[in-house]
Amino acid sequence: MGKIFLGLLLTLLMAGCNCCPDMQDENAVYYWRTEWRLDSLEQGFLDSYHIYKVYCRYFDVVIDGPDTEEPHPNATISFIDTVPTDLEIIPTVYITEACMHQPHEGIAEKLVKRIVQMNETHDVMGVTEIQIDCDYTLQSRQTYYDFLEEVRRVAALHQLRLSTTIRLHQLSMPAPPVDYGVLMIYNTGDPQKFEERNPILDLRDVQPYLRYLGDYPLPLAAAYPVYKWLRTIGGVHITHEVEADEILRVKGAVEEARDDLRHTILLYHLDANNIQRYDNKTFDAIYRH
Amino acid sequence: MTTKHLMRFIAISCMLSCHLSGFACTWIETHNYYLFHVYDNERFRSRVDRISRDNWKVYLGSTEDYYYFNAKEVKDFARKKGDDLMLSYVNNLERYLQCAQDVVAESWDYPSKEDVAKRNRVINSILLYAQGKLTSRLRSQHGLLFMRCNMLLGKHSANITFWEQTASKYIESVYKEMMKNIYAGALYKTGQTGRAAQIFAEQGDWESLMTQFYLKRSYAAIRQEYLRDPNSAALPFLVQDFVNNTQEAVDEDGYGKLFVRDISTREAEQMVQFAGQVVKEGKTKTPALWMTARAWIEYLLGNPVQALAHIDEALKLDGTDWMKNCARVIRLYIHSSQYQVSSQFDTYIGTELAWMQQMSEQTCESFYENALDRIVHQHLAEKYAKAGRIETSLGLLAATHAYEYEYALDTLEVHSLLSFIDYFNNPSANVLDRYLKPRITFDSFNLDDLIGTKYLRLCQWDEAIPWLKKVPMSYYNSRGYAIYAARRKPDVEPWIKRQWLPMGAEYEYAEQHMTVNPKITFATDMRDREAQLATLKGRAYQQACYDLAVRYAQASFTGDCWFLMRDGKSECDEVRANETDLNAKTVDLLRRASQTTDMQLKERALFALSYAYLNPDRWFESEWNRNTSKYIIKPQSNTLQYNAFATLAAFEQTNSKGVSTYVSRCDEYIQFCKFYKK
Repeated sequence: MGKIFLGLLLTLLMAGCNCCPDMQDENAVYYWRTEWRLDSLEQGFLDSYHIYKVYCRYFDVVIDGPDTEEPHPNATISFIDTVPTDLEIIPTVYITEACMHQPHEGIAEKLVKRIVQMNETHDVMGVTEIQIDCDYTLQSRQTYYDFLEEVRRVAALHQLRLSTTIRLHQLSMPAPPVDYGVLMIYNTGDPQKFEERNPILDLRDVQPYLRYLGDYPLPLAAAYPVYKWLRTIGGVHITHEVEADEILRVKGAVEEARDDLRHTILLYHLDANNIQRYDNKTFDAIYRH
Repeated sequence: MTTKHLMRFIAISCMLSCHLSGFACTWIETHNYYLFHVYDNERFRSRVDRISRDNWKVYLGSTEDYYYFNAKEVKDFARKKGDDLMLSYVNNLERYLQCAQDVVAESWDYPSKEDVAKRNRVINSILLYAQGKLTSRLRSQHGLLFMRCNMLLGKHSANITFWEQTASKYIESVYKEMMKNIYAGALYKTGQTGRAAQIFAEQGDWESLMTQFYLKRSYAAIRQEYLRDPNSAALPFLVQDFVNNTQEAVDEDGYGKLFVRDISTREAEQMVQFAGQVVKEGKTKTPALWMTARAWIEYLLGNPVQALAHIDEALKLDGTDWMKNCARVIRLYIHSSQYQVSSQFDTYIGTELAWMQQMSEQTCESFYENALDRIVHQHLAEKYAKAGRIETSLGLLAATHAYEYEYALDTLEVHSLLSFIDYFNNPSANVLDRYLKPRITFDSFNLDDLIGTKYLRLCQWDEAIPWLKKVPMSYYNSRGYAIYAARRKPDVEPWIKRQWLPMGAEYEYAEQHMTVNPKITFATDMRDREAQLATLKGRAYQQACYDLAVRYAQASFTGDCWFLMRDGKSECDEVRANETDLNAKTVDLLRRASQTTDMQLKERALFALSYAYLNPDRWFESEWNRNTSKYIIKPQSNTLQYNAFATLAAFEQTNSKGVSTYVSRCDEYIQFCKFYKK
């Protein structure tokens, strides 16, 4: 009887989250700067919202010239402060789409090796996962997925899981070979058409992709923007930031389309200015855990 | 096409895209340059770099204009000279530079803890070497090397001690200045930010100051710094930053701001009060700085009367040359806005603009040119134009080298242009004229073509032709629009066939070889057709109306032959001052043509009347539906295009000859019929 009950319980639990067995209820944040240094406000924010997981950009991978050149690391983070031991760091690497125009032998291995070395040199402990971020397209998808396969294989040798970012336009493609994806719910608009839509986030730009969410065959976390984008176009200074209501509207629509996207929530990105941009009510509504 | 002409074409295209201030997606040149500028712009970094290079040049006896440090060259020279100390210094400098490069290098091989330790051992050995040479002939260079090594190792306290006990007593040199900068960095890293800021400011290291104050810039920070030291070297930086942020907040024009700080009116008012208090207290050695800041913020907040009084007062107060010059520029701006045009005003403006020109040449700073731009575009050009002094207004625009000058010349009435040319050719009458005339150019225009084209825009064909005949074909073949002029014809019905250029042709810049001036051909044809129109009746008259309509539509800014009337094209174009509304003429002629009983001509005329470019208000509006993620089409039955389509649809129902394919294949018409039938 006990076994039957346990079996039934497990079945019910599995059924309750059949599309995302790996995603847990947790809050996380991206750290996207070139120096690791947390101020008291940022540390307080992590404490207040029970954030123990930080997706920390370690470096970018870029390619300078034509496709014959080899990709190389750029803008590597400097560890000014020690990483607190109570934080789980997920080393994240942004790789430009141009690097994926053709395969580059050995890059996956170099990338994982560099991450592992950075962890060792700077005593970043307890790393169990890495993430790759790339704005791959239909043309570069296969090369990117092959690259991810290789990264996953090498990462496994170091007992590291692999995740990747998924942009909305990538939802219509087959899922990448990773353990899970982080759905980037920002940079949704066309930066050229900034007069019409907020290029960071606009529900009208998200809406067309919602239909792909339900059947997307990969566990997903959701990442929302809290950043401000400053740029100069033709000598004119342009500032973009998203209103709290719009973030929450999008979040509502996204979770309605796929219920399990309410489990793991990330913000892009941790910074004192971003923390001060919105009130506690907004962060409470976004995180909820 | 030459580069110059291409640029002209692009400039005019941009110009045309910029003049509609109300259009949401156009970019407007705001001329909002900062007027509060109280210190030299030459950065610390560029200054020490320049002097260091000069020192190496002197050592090597080099005559190169720009000397790039080359360690091997210096070592060879030192060896030849038997200068062992220099040889060992450069050897160690090279080792240091390699280590510094490794620290910031980006390679796949990330350094291990052992690598970092090894690198630190090398740095320590250089440090020990340098320490041993601190009493040598090259003590300053070695002192700098010593401090650089400490900096890489994070030994900031050691650098503070070394500077305070030793290096600060060295003779003045660029190396000492760099050491002091590292010392300031060490103070900053160890939390002694006030002293660090003082040194950064004294040295003009604005990058470091900005790093230090980036998130702390405010009235409160200025007050705090003043209370710490009323003559703190950081104050001009902080005050300038605050005032310019205030200007940024006031100047905001809907495009947002680059700056971190939004200065509120309250904070700006607090600053005004505080600046007054600082001057009254008499502790500052530069009251001109504070009084100018006060006057400028008052002006920005909409208090020009107080601003006038205070800026006049600022000019009498003590301050650096930069501060006094800044006060003089702001005074010119405020006076330009507050006083009426008069001969006295002319003399004042002429004198001040000539002074600004002189300062601009002396300092090689863009500040004076930018100030001129703001003063002219925000006050003087309009003020003189309103006073009926069009020539002065144009001359001022010309002095700023801004696109508005070319735009103004392009849209000026013909007689005003002729007056302006006369003004340019006649002797100067006063100080202002003497300043302006050397700055007026007609480089971008062939004046004969411009005058002829202005007559074309007014449909005064006979007046246009003699001017256009003076222009050589080489001029037209080299225009940016020549590629269009050589390929497009004004007798093609634009509503039936668009004259697209082959893909990429616009960007090939191929030289054109037209032998006939397309503007003269057009003017002659239009003159003859209009003369003939008066003699025709019935079917022939209606056909002639239609043919004329085709040509007017093509020559319009929305037509394919826009180059007949304009130098460039933009989607933001509209009918401008001093030109005929050619689309309105087209519509009038098409209506007359549509009265015909000839079914084919009637169909063409009715179809033409529904052409999008002749109907600025479309027959429908679309609205985004969030739920369906689709646009909802909402017909607008009160628009001209709706009525034109409705008339065409009604006609086609009775058209015994059957609907022509150019109508039946028109997607807009098909779409309309779907809704019209409902």
